[in-house]
Amino acid sequence: MSLSAKARMQFMKDLGFPAMLSLAKATKGKRKPRKANPDFGPPLRCATRLKEIMTRHYYLSRFAPGARPVAWVTSGAPVELLRAFDFYTIYPENHGALCGAQKMGPELCAAAEDEGYSPDLCSYARVDLGHFFSGKTPAGKLPKPDILFCSNNICQTVVYWYKVLAHRLGIPLLMFDTPFNYGEITEANIAYMKDQILEMIPVLEKASGKAFDMERFLRLAELSKSASQLWGQCLETMQARPAPMTIFDAFVHLAPVVSLRGLPVARNYYEILLAELTDRVERGIGAITNEKKRLMWDNIAVWYKVRDFSELFAARGMNFVAATYTNAWAETIQHLDMSHPWESLAKTYSLVILNNNLEHRLGLMEKMVREYAVDGLVVHSARSCKPYSLGQYDLKRLLSQRLGIPAVVIEADITDYRFFSEEQALTRLEAFFESLEAA
Amino acid sequence: MSPAQLPSRGDYFKQWRGGGKVCAVFPAQYPKELLWAHGVLPMEVWDPPLAPARAQGHLQPYICSVVRQGLELLLAGGMDEVGAILFPHTCDSLQNLASLVADYLEPPAPSLFFYNPKAPFAAAAKGFYVSQLQALEEDLTLIFGPAPEGAMEQALEWSRRLSELYAQAYARRAAGELGVGAEEFYRLLRAGEYLHPRDYIPLLEAWLNEAPAQGGPKGQGIIISGVLPSPPDLMETLDGLDFRVVHDDLISMSRRLLYPPPGQGDPLEALAESFLAMPPCSTRGSSLSERLEWLKGLAQSGGAQGVVFSVVKFCEPELFDLPELRRGLKEAGLPSLVLEVDVNQEVGGQAATRLEAFGEMLS
Ligand code: SF4
Ligand code: SF4
Repeated sequence: MSLSAKARMQFMKDLGFPAMLSLAKATKGKRKPRKANPDFGPPLRCATRLKEIMTRHYYLSRFAPGARPVAWVTSGAPVELLRAFDFYTIYPENHGALCGAQKMGPELCAAAEDEGYSPDLCSYARVDLGHFFSGKTPAGKLPKPDILFCSNNICQTVVYWYKVLAHRLGIPLLMFDTPFNYGEITEANIAYMKDQILEMIPVLEKASGKAFDMERFLRLAELSKSASQLWGQCLETMQARPAPMTIFDAFVHLAPVVSLRGLPVARNYYEILLAELTDRVERGIGAITNEKKRLMWDNIAVWYKVRDFSELFAARGMNFVAATYTNAWAETIQHLDMSHPWESLAKTYSLVILNNNLEHRLGLMEKMVREYAVDGLVVHSARSCKPYSLGQYDLKRLLSQRLGIPAVVIEADITDYRFFSEEQALTRLEAFFESLEAA
Repeated sequence: MSPAQLPSRGDYFKQWRGGGKVCAVFPAQYPKELLWAHGVLPMEVWDPPLAPARAQGHLQPYICSVVRQGLELLLAGGMDEVGAILFPHTCDSLQNLASLVADYLEPPAPSLFFYNPKAPFAAAAKGFYVSQLQALEEDLTLIFGPAPEGAMEQALEWSRRLSELYAQAYARRAAGELGVGAEEFYRLLRAGEYLHPRDYIPLLEAWLNEAPAQGGPKGQGIIISGVLPSPPDLMETLDGLDFRVVHDDLISMSRRLLYPPPGQGDPLEALAESFLAMPPCSTRGSSLSERLEWLKGLAQSGGAQGVVFSVVKFCEPELFDLPELRRGLKEAGLPSLVLEVDVNQEVGGQAATRLEAFGEMLS
């Protein structure tokens, strides 16, 4: 690491970024505010803070090379380990969501396809590879990584994807192999994961030039835990009627717990978000003005349709109050126990929804339907994501049968809207609205 | 011994059922020796020739045909008589299929699972693999009863002998000393997906003894890479175009048949070592450089001039590796061709035309 790079990064952090932000605020002040949609309650005040945090994160990342070791990380990897070595972390999946929301999915996917990547592959991977080949990104510029850190607790896809990056960049790939839980988690699985974590420590020491400090690790793990717990509490506020935010808000407010977990900024952010949501609950302020029906979403967001869908549902007095996706960064954190850090870290990361059998998912969804008083279920069959999608037809059937709630499957993709038929989705949703209104 | 004398899967299954226990096994790598030791016949399910009908109601159209056909077989009653169904952990689709079957579809037999650790292998992978073997051993004992004394040693002996025979078949073919085409070669090797080694070993030995040294295709030497030698007409097309398939890099074939034979020590440790030293494979997470070097080595040993990638549509592990492998092969002077296939769906005239043009380019 070079001293001048460190100084430059510090300067940008202390002066450059705040100056840029003030300038942006001054310009924004002159813009005409958007007309409020009467179907929605007042917007969350925290949204401005969220935007600042994420902009700062991406902006400062440009100055990280040379100042801090840089890692590209999958959303389900035990990032607490990297935090202890002061890695600047970039989450390609979060970047993929950003590109998707900015409707850049097809363009970046096509850049990967031009290099031979099949349009049938996960579009987060294609967006990332497309960005890698073309340099295009709405985030300005992403820093090149020194290492790649990946866990297959969300899918095997990330392993194939990160292998390509490791090969192209000639850098090490650290893989945390989390055996799929076909049933209950076993002691053998935990022992295997714990041994892998211990094996990674010397590798990370070498890559970062820093010695491992257990106390620091525990402190950061505690920060990570509290951010996830606070996130979970934020989601729980949606059990109130009317719910103070929608899942479409949550898809966006999820970014810090994914990308900045283990840093004070994430914990602090969720403290203020929770305070705002609690206040809204106390004052009876709903995310939508006329909450008649409460829905649950299954699978990752359709990023290029978040606004359209939120308006479509809000106009009918339907609010999404729960999602298996947003829940994923809170559901297992109770396992993290600083008195047994390695075993508990293994459990926390192994027991996430996508590394668990479908019976577990069904049980979790049944519980959520009850706790959040859900009236209907929307299942996004995401072409990109086989581990999230394979099994959904039966999941929908069983959940409808067991709980007697209407459910619909819409075929779409997370970022690549070339695979989305709006017409077909709307036809299915119309039928769903009818059955829901009749229920 | 000619391929025509091979018993069909259906006939063999019926005849075996009377005297034994059967376990349906989904792709790809699994410790077959444990099943043999328990007197169980593994019936591998790769590409059953059925029209997809029932599976459609459970799977999205973007799921590969191997998963689709396997589920179709199960739903059509093709596994009603087996004692268990084994799902090795191979890819996301098979992972979820296993859970779908076990958790939602009330299968006709108990489901067994086997997690293959993924590369880059940690030092802990070997011990973990042994723990997986022990867990499977316990499950098999519960369902089929304990393995008789000496059965494990016998199973390892079969495994070693098969490993030798496979190595021999591949080496003779690569050296141009096996005068048979791709269709015959793979028909014989695929019989190992359903024949018990007691029957299969003598058949393979007889075939290798009797197969002519000369008389096979004489054209351009190629390697085929992908999942399995299917659809069957692809092999016939390759033979018809006089391609010499000098080696393969197929998941169902050399990537798991050319395993280093288990050694003589503790049987489970020996199996773990054997697994960890298998040829590189996308489904095991092998690095791209490892796979590339492996492919180049295969081409060199058999004098191949190009590589045909026959990739099952929607197969993520294979599709992700493809561009870098092709790029590396090209740099090494090895052109390649990609065919996207659905198992059991004929490759058709267009693929034949592309293969023909590829052959001309190689000459
Ligand atoms: S969308 Fe699904 S397949 Fe793609 S990276 Fe995420 S979990 Fe993996
Ligand atoms: S063909 Fe590919 S995706 Fe399909 S089961 Fe086999 S490895 Fe998995």
